Amino acid sequence: MAFDKIKPPISLSILVLFGLILLLLQLMSSATQESSELSAMYSWLLLVNALGSVVLLGLVGVNIYSLARQLKKREAGSRLTTRMVSLFVVLALAPAAIVFYFSMQFLHQGIDSWFNVEIDRAMEDALELSQASLDQRMRWHLRQTQQLTSKLVESSETQATLEMENLRELSGASEMTLFSRQGRIIASSSINPGDILPSLPDEHTWLQLRQNSEYVALTPVRDDELMIRVIVTVKAKEPQYLQALYPVPVRIADLADSVEFAFVRYQEMHFLRHSLKLSFSLALSLVLLMSLLAAIWVAFISIRNIVAPVKALVKGTQAVASGHYDQELPVMAQDDLGFLVESFNEMTHRIARASDETRMAGIEVENQRAYLETILANLTAGVISFDAEHKIRTANQAAYRIFHIHVNQFVGRTLLELVENYAELAEPLKSIQRLLEQADDIWQQRIAFLGPNGRQELLCRGTPLFSQEGFRVGAVVVFDDVTDLIQAQKNAAWGEVARRLAHEIKNPLTPIQLSAERLQHKLADKLAAGDADMLQRSTTTIVQQVEAMKEMVDDFSEYAKPSKKQTVDIDLPHLVQGVLALYALRSGVKFKADYDTGLLMIKGDPVSIRQVLHNLIKNALEAINTKGLIEISLRRVQKNNTDFIEIALYDDGPGIKDEQIEQIFEPYVTTKAKGTGLGLAIVKKIIEEHGGAIWVDTSRKVGAGFIIQLPACNF
Amino acid sequence: MRASASSKSSLCYSLLYCLFAWLLPVLSYADAFGVEVKNAEMTLQGNSYVVSADIDYQLSARAMEALQNGVPLYWDTHIKVQQHRDYFWDKTLINTGIRYRIQYHALLNMYRVRNEGSGELYNFSTLSSALDLMSTIHNFHLMDKPVDTSKERYAVGIKVTLDRDALPLPLRPVAYTNPQWYLSSDWTLWPLTK
Repeated sequence: MAFDKIKPPISLSILVLFGLILLLLQLMSSATQESSELSAMYSWLLLVNALGSVVLLGLVGVNIYSLARQLKKREAGSRLTTRMVSLFVVLALAPAAIVFYFSMQFLHQGIDSWFNVEIDRAMEDALELSQASLDQRMRWHLRQTQQLTSKLVESSETQATLEMENLRELSGASEMTLFSRQGRIIASSSINPGDILPSLPDEHTWLQLRQNSEYVALTPVRDDELMIRVIVTVKAKEPQYLQALYPVPVRIADLADSVEFAFVRYQEMHFLRHSLKLSFSLALSLVLLMSLLAAIWVAFISIRNIVAPVKALVKGTQAVASGHYDQELPVMAQDDLGFLVESFNEMTHRIARASDETRMAGIEVENQRAYLETILANLTAGVISFDAEHKIRTANQAAYRIFHIHVNQFVGRTLLELVENYAELAEPLKSIQRLLEQADDIWQQRIAFLGPNGRQELLCRGTPLFSQEGFRVGAVVVFDDVTDLIQAQKNAAWGEVARRLAHEIKNPLTPIQLSAERLQHKLADKLAAGDADMLQRSTTTIVQQVEAMKEMVDDFSEYAKPSKKQTVDIDLPHLVQGVLALYALRSGVKFKADYDTGLLMIKGDPVSIRQVLHNLIKNALEAINTKGLIEISLRRVQKNNTDFIEIALYDDGPGIKDEQIEQIFEPYVTTKAKGTGLGLAIVKKIIEEHGGAIWVDTSRKVGAGFIIQLPACNF
Repeated sequence: MRASASSKSSLCYSLLYCLFAWLLPVLSYADAFGVEVKNAEMTLQGNSYVVSADIDYQLSARAMEALQNGVPLYWDTHIKVQQHRDYFWDKTLINTGIRYRIQYHALLNMYRVRNEGSGELYNFSTLSSALDLMSTIHNFHLMDKPVDTSKERYAVGIKVTLDRDALPLPLRPVAYTNPQWYLSSDWTLWPLTK
């Protein structure tokens, strides 16, 4: 972040770069002017520009490589960047290439047009003209000097010295010198009195002089001055040389200079023609290359900046698509893309808010569902919901408890499918299925069946469910196990009967009995022997029947009266052993006791429990008559997370008929010739008062079997 | 008295050569051209050290052509005296030289050589005589104060270079890339003894 702050803005960097490139190109352009001071730096500028191009080429290369990698990775925005860059390059390259091509054409044709045969010839002619002009002048001066020698032929050295000044002035020479063959100066005269030493010929001139005996040549004196040096031989006794230096008139010298300059310049240009083309082409190429590369590089940067928000948007959209709604994209500019980014941010905010709300609503619904499920689970009534095909959708704990079917075998199946695995439930399940299929409205039905725990009675209420369009989408069935309730109602009814019997029947019995005894007592002596005997038999019968009736009423009272339990801890094996000891002496009957190891304790009234055992054993003994086997087993079982002690009692008698099983625990139901029919009813009552259950073990095929479960005592 | 020559080429020249070499066809090296320092010696005249040398100028066809077409060529004769140092670069005590300009004058049909230092002008009708002037370095005054060669080691070096930066501008890129323009000599170094 700190680096971002000190980093200059990109646009400024680009401006500086372009400025630098323009400066470099301008410098190079200036340097190509021969007269420019930058001319000396031309090579360096060329090198710097070339290096700049290489650097730019590198930058562009790096950008292309990076773009290619992004394309390969299919990164967001890479294809857009490629398209924009390609478009830019094509748009920039095409006109640049056209301009470059025509510039090169113009350049080459322009340079070539400077030179042609006519100008070549004219230049050469001009030079030749100058040379001819100067040559003529030289020859004229040679002749003039030769004529002067005649005046010196006869003169002595002294005379010559005197004559020299005149001769010089006469000839118009700027300097005149007479020297011997050995180079000794005999006489000299100069237009400039300051020149003490005359200009003597060099070795090369001497050589020519000795060969030709005369010499004439143009001699550049200083940079811009031409002299005609003429040396002729003076044919005296001792040959001497007369040297005359004639100045070339300024005008002619200037003209000659001008012609020579133009000729040299032209010749140089002609010679440099190809180099010139090359060097201009090079400069032009460099300018184009640098400008193009810089433009492409800047295009890369600019396009990257333009694409950056698009890239961010694509990434943001991908993130939103994958469920991350907390996307906040930075708004880089207040343009259309910035507006788009702002809109995107607002959209994600809204989506995030909506998503939060949905989630909260979902949680709320889930909570409600859990709450309802808890309520349903804790209902004592079983609740099963069905779909349109009568398949079970949901069922609560109570449903499992009532039917004793495991959870995972319940859901997703129809009731008829369950029948196949649970034959004992066939009756209620089929009844419910039939009601589901038939009922179009709320229905209620009481269904009784013999379950594994004995006879069960269910109160079922069904409600078909309809969609808003009126189609049937399922049903809900609520059922209660009303076995206990009905049993309690029956018990209460029988209690009432017993109480009334006691009240309404027992009361008149005592007067009947007393009256009968009184009749016997009063009339026995007064009647004849036969009559007295009949009276005796009748009163005895009345008294006996009244006694029997009293007994029966007492039994009913016993059954109906509220229990007066004294709850203590009972060690069942010990108690069972005590009861069995009473029957041990009966011949022909075998007792077989089987107890689980460990504590088998219950809480209850030992007298009542003992009565239960007596009643059951008495029943068994009556059933097996004189010879048989009675088995009693005690074991600890667990049911609905509660420990129970199970007492199973079996005999090998004739057993109980199926049609009797349902009513066997009800009062006044007996299979025996004599008996009140209250034995098992009292047993059931006692067991239920102790919080237990008793049922006939229908699975046993030989004899009769009773199973009692009593809550175990946990220490 | 001769020491092996060592060559140093400037960074600029090398880079330019690398950059533009591909632009130009490779030219033949068949012609023998270049500048060579033939004989060089340093003598003590009184209290002064003077240098004398013979330099052989062999112009390449391209250089000759340029000269014939009026292009002036600038030649620098570099003379230096170095003091040897074991753990550092050699110290240059004296670095001097002579700069000549040779140019063809079409009007007079002669070659003019100019000593750029003194301004002296020489005219020659032939190129060889013009080059002869530049070839001979006779008793070039180097330094007055004699050095103690018994304590320190000294070396004298001569090198002749063609100043390519003084060539006409269009010719420069070519001059840096075309071997025909690689006319400069290597350093000729020899130890200075009494």
